[in-house]
Formats: sequence, C-alpha cells, structure tokens
Amino acid sequence: MASLNETIATLDRLPALPATSMRLIAMLAGGGRDADLREIESIINHDEAVAATVLRRANSAAFGMRGRVAGVADAVRRLGTRELCRIALETQTSGMLANAGRSYGLRRGALSQSALGGAIAADELAQFNNQNREVAFVAALLRDIGKLAIDAIAGPDALEKIAAAADARPFLAYEREAFGADHAQLGALLCERWNLPDDIVRAVRGHHEPPSNPPEPLTDIVHAADCVARWAGLGLGCDGLMYPFDAGTRERLGVTRDDLESLVADVLAATTPEENPGVIPHRRTA
Amino acid sequence: MSRTPSIPIRPEAARAGEADKIVVGVADLQVARDPSKSIITYALGSCIGVTLYDPVAKVGGMLHFMLPESNVSAEKAAANPAMFGDLGMPILFDKVIAAGAKRERLIVCAAGGAEVLADDGHFRIGSRNRTVLRKILWKLNILLAADDTGGQHSRTLTLRLADGNIAIRSQGKDTTLWPR
Repeated sequence: MASLNETIATLDRLPALPATSMRLIAMLAGGGRDADLREIESIINHDEAVAATVLRRANSAAFGMRGRVAGVADAVRRLGTRELCRIALETQTSGMLANAGRSYGLRRGALSQSALGGAIAADELAQFNNQNREVAFVAALLRDIGKLAIDAIAGPDALEKIAAAADARPFLAYEREAFGADHAQLGALLCERWNLPDDIVRAVRGHHEPPSNPPEPLTDIVHAADCVARWAGLGLGCDGLMYPFDAGTRERLGVTRDDLESLVADVLAATTPEENPGVIPHRRTA
Repeated sequence: MSRTPSIPIRPEAARAGEADKIVVGVADLQVARDPSKSIITYALGSCIGVTLYDPVAKVGGMLHFMLPESNVSAEKAAANPAMFGDLGMPILFDKVIAAGAKRERLIVCAAGGAEVLADDGHFRIGSRNRTVLRKILWKLNILLAADDTGGQHSRTLTLRLADGNIAIRSQGKDTTLWPR
C-alpha cells in the first residue's frame, strides 16, 4: 500500500522520455509539417537499435520491390518521414518498456509488444473514424507507460495477491485502492511532465475509462485498441482481462464484432516478427 | 547519444534456463515426442490452449488459438490456420496422430477462454472460443478430460511430455489440471 503522494513521488525516479522521442512525437502529431529529414536521419544514426529496425523494415516485403537497401541513408529515402518517425519512436518506446510490467507478472518484452499491437490497432481504428492516425498511434503506444510507476512502487507479488482476491471490479479500482492512483492516471501524469499534446495525455488517462460527456474520439480509439491488443493475447499479466469494454465507445466508433476480430488478426500478424512488425496493409474495416 | 535496448523480443521465445520447454506462441501449435521436454504457452486470456496427450506413445501437442471461426478472414486463415479454433483443432489432432499417438488414447484438456469484464454480449470472444472448442470435440467424438476456462484472468498452460501432467499458473498460483 502506498499513499498518492508516495506514488507520485516515484514518478521523479523514472527515466525521462528521451528528448529525441519527444521530437519524433511532435513531428508525428504535427502531421509531418515540421519534420526534417536530416534531423530524423541523425536520430537514426545515433541509435543502433533504431538503425537496425529501419534497415530491416526497408528490406521487408512491403518496401522490398527495388532490391536491398545499401545503408541507412538509402533506407531513409525509401521509407519516408512518417514511417521513419514511427519506427524510431516504436523502437525507443520498446526500449523503455522492455522490462516494464514485472509487477503484473509480465515477461520481458511483453509490454513493448502490447504497446505496438495497440498502436497498430489504433492506427486502423483512426483511419476508419477519420481521426488523426499518427496521434492515435502515439497515444496507444504510450497508453501503459504508467505501469512503469506501478512497477516502481508495488512490492513483489503485490499485484498478484490483489488479482487473486479480485471480485470482478475493474482492475484500475484495485490499483487506486493500493497506490492512490491507477496506471492510466500515472501514465497521463508522465505524459504531462513530458509536455506531450493534451489529447494524448487525455487518451492515456482515459484508455480504460473513456469519458462520455463529452466523448473524446481519440480516447475512444485508444480504449478499443487496448481491448483488441488484449484479445490478441498481448500484455496479459495478472490483471488479465479485468477491464471492461465501454459500450458507448463501441457505439461511437461504429465497430462490429467482425471488424474487431479482423483487427485482432491483423494485430497478431503485425506483431509477429516473421511478418514485418508494424507494417499492415492499409484498408478500411468494412 | 541515446542507447536503447534492441527491438522488441517476442515474449513467447524461450528464455535462458528454459531449454527443456517447447514454447507455443499465440496462434501457434507444437507437437513433440520427447519425454525430457514440456510444451508451454504463456498468457492465455480470451484465447484457448488445447492439449492432446497419448500416455502410451508419450506424444503430446498443444494449440493456442485466438479466435473461434476462420470466416472472419480467409486471408489470415490461409496464412495461419492455428489462429482459429475451427481450423487449428483438426490440424492439432492430425499432427499428434502423425507423430505416433493413437486417437483412442488421447487425453484432451483445455484452458483459457476468459472474457473482458462486463461484456454486454456483443463480443464474447472468450465464450465463443469455448463454444467452438466443444463443437469441434463433439464433431470429432472426443471428450474433454479436464478444463479450466472462463473468468477474467490469464493463464499459463504447461504439458509435461514425460507423464502428461498438465499445470496451470494463474495470478501467482500453480494448480494441476491433469491428472485430477
């Protein structure tokens, strides 16, 4: 058990979002208006993991019609700014989240994979609902960042014990009882500290409890994307499926069961390394 | 200069110290005849894990399917039939029998099929997965020996090939599903 003040104090001990990630988010959220290819190339060149992903993606089936790429500069020319920003941000976020979720019983890499799966789902849902796809991608990618704070404050087995005694209330309620705040609120506080756009902060805060009055389209998308990722088996710790799917969100997004199941299949295919993580055919769900 | 760890690692991949485990990913199936090993799948939520085991031949198999019916996407079904219960289960039976198991000796167990909280009946992927499990077993005329399904929690399922023991780990607790 921890008080809200103790929990909020742990936020100071968490690693900051890298400055380059903040720039990438600004470029994506701005629709690429202030994206500078040379700046993106410099970010890629300074981060081995990002460079490796960029090269692999440029050589993947989706872009591989014109022979293998010669190097990072060639890959940068092929992929375009939007794709490059996404790859770089995805990779940096994966780095932050790789070991996160331990207190939920998640294995290494599970939360990174769930972040990416949700981001892919949010992209498709945003496309279907004529919302900004890049902002939806970023918000879903960061939605569980507050689990870093829970990891920092929860003792070993604390969440497993809570989950074992749970009586069918949403898991956020137990987090609030134990720590004074839940992972969605803590994630939103982190995003605020990093000066991320307000709609992203709100989507992270509401990703399990989307507001209805007034509704927030981006939050609805991230909420549905989170459910899709769970159905695809991603990021399931001791909290399991103890999060409701909001009926209002379902109506506002106009998604059917078949739409979502098809999305679950897309997310699984796109987060399985053999099949190009992050690359999906662009199509409207019917 | 930022240095981030390398790109996401597939959580299902076997880890150091897990050389005796054959890992079944989401929408995946594995069959083996090696008494020194166990077959394991992590974090079954609404997905269902099905195990088959022949105690005489010591052949076992496990499927981790994600969605009940393949008609949702013909393209995905062709690429990966193990994603769907209706296609994956017959394949699991065929593969286990091809590996030397006898159909009449098979012990069939299942776990998973959890549901998101307060699903008002619109999606119910977990319970529809449970239904397809029973429907296919009915068609194959095979009884389920034991199952641990439903609820809201995730489960890790292990089949020990030496003796067919089936263990479930959920919310920090280990239980034996088979033998009962």
